[in-house]
Amino acid sequence: MSDDRIIFDNVSRFYGEVLGVNRVTLSIPPGITSLVGPNGSGKTTLMNLMAGLIRPTRGRITILGIPPGRPERLFRLLGYSTQFDSFPRGLTGRQFVTTFLSLAGLPRRQCRELADRAIDRVGMTAAADRRVAAYSKGMRQRIKLAQAIAHDPRVLVLDEPLNGLDPLIRAETIALFRQFAAEGRHVIVSSHVLHEVDMISDQVILLSAGYVVGEGQIHDVRSEIEDRPMQVLIRCDRPGALASRAFQEDHVVEAQLLSDGGGVLIKTRDPVRFYRMINRAAIEGAIIETIAPADDDVNSIYGYLIGGEESSR
Amino acid sequence: MAVYKRNYAPYSGRLTSRWPRFFILTRYSYARLFQSRFLMLLISLCLVYPLGCIAFVYLSHNASFLRLINFRGTELLSIDGRFFYTFCVVQGNLACLLTAFTAPALVSPDIVNGGMQLYLCRPFSRAEYVLGKLTGLFLLLSLVTWVPGLLIFVIKSSLAGWGFVRAMDWLAGGLLLGLVIWVLLLSLTALAVSAWVKWKNAAGALLLGIYYIGAGFGTAVNAVFHTNLGSLINLNHVMYVVWADLLRYDNGSETPLRHACVVLVLASALCLWLLSRRVRGFEVVK
Repeated sequence: MSDDRIIFDNVSRFYGEVLGVNRVTLSIPPGITSLVGPNGSGKTTLMNLMAGLIRPTRGRITILGIPPGRPERLFRLLGYSTQFDSFPRGLTGRQFVTTFLSLAGLPRRQCRELADRAIDRVGMTAAADRRVAAYSKGMRQRIKLAQAIAHDPRVLVLDEPLNGLDPLIRAETIALFRQFAAEGRHVIVSSHVLHEVDMISDQVILLSAGYVVGEGQIHDVRSEIEDRPMQVLIRCDRPGALASRAFQEDHVVEAQLLSDGGGVLIKTRDPVRFYRMINRAAIEGAIIETIAPADDDVNSIYGYLIGGEESSR
Repeated sequence: MAVYKRNYAPYSGRLTSRWPRFFILTRYSYARLFQSRFLMLLISLCLVYPLGCIAFVYLSHNASFLRLINFRGTELLSIDGRFFYTFCVVQGNLACLLTAFTAPALVSPDIVNGGMQLYLCRPFSRAEYVLGKLTGLFLLLSLVTWVPGLLIFVIKSSLAGWGFVRAMDWLAGGLLLGLVIWVLLLSLTALAVSAWVKWKNAAGALLLGIYYIGAGFGTAVNAVFHTNLGSLINLNHVMYVVWADLLRYDNGSETPLRHACVVLVLASALCLWLLSRRVRGFEVVK
């Protein structure tokens, strides 16, 4: 099982007196995993630990069963695209991808073939022979992505990969991530754009001040935040009646009628009992059009778990 | 739980041998360096003195030329320790100048803005990175130091015969060792400076400062404290002591060889430490 997962076992990393991450224990399955957290929360440290760029001060890491201390084996499996826009001077896009493939130890002919394929996959074939220095921000992001995927790694670690991409390329890149995930690869992405994370992630890891404050599928993480009542938006024919009925339940803490008069937003501490109440109301004749969780997304979870800490700093 | 079907084929072929991988960096450094016309001009200027020496060695064995200048002695100028010591001083200083113009751009562009991660997130270590950059500089400086020096020795040997080779073989060894030490020291200093100083011009100036302002500072220390320990601050002087010893020439220095060797080892260790602090795959933001 651990041969198919990225494992962090009680990992801590300190930079002298500065905390990178502390007591991180994770088991990341294949699929798209997003690292979410404010600046300095430890996202890049976590990615650098996966890529073997830094060693943990404490704890143990394995990437699909391989420790990062064995680079020859690890980098057959792992591709890393950093958040930084730094490229060796004077290289064209094709030379950039080819050079870094050859640094990874691939023979020259394979480097050329794999580079061409990767460049084509990120839609950069037309610009491949132009110097990277003349690329736009979006093109630089894509050529970095090409160098990360060129050797077809099973694990892709991508630090802020969607920054600077225009909407069309962004959609294409997300589709590429989905394709990688569907192929059974791990795609580890960090992003500040929460609605995007929500859209693309199979699971999220929420970080704050070097600690993992939540991890798993977004819905599961939300259901574990018990101190925050869950918000449910219900569109129905008689919202007033539903609101007054809801107030008879001890787990309902708030009910707000929507301004358009077509629904009600209810906050409950016990979603199971709440949904039972809705079932009963429907059986008794209430016409319920839609029921949707209103805070079951990364944005809300981020606000609950991290927003409070950030504002209290 | 989702069931994923793996339908891609990652590269599973053989990798190239690991040890020569650092040459890739050397190759790309050269591709960029030799695009500069100024650098080509500078290298050409650095080769003027060796070419003059070669011409002189040839002419000093050319009977027609000796008759032309009406020379009647046994040897126009002896090719000995003094000759090669002068060669080392001239070419060593030119190599220092060449380093100040070429080396500052070697490491700093990779370090600025987190570029090191690109190199190190593959089976390529920090040591290999430094070795790749060091090799580039070492080969470039070799071109203007020990390579022409040995060429002069070979030409002299071919003209003077085996007797010269047998009597002066230590000279070739001393020349090679002395200039290789100098080139390594220059390369290490240059890489360390390039790793820490972001601006190319400032890095070049600092490098020249280390080698030439150190001389003035050392002289001041000697004058104020009535000692000769100040000369140890002057890396050029330290190297002159080593060259003089290796080439069996008395340059009048009072600095003991063992002191000079300790300074060279300490300077190299300091450069390596500075490189190890800077060449790494992460940056700590406090």
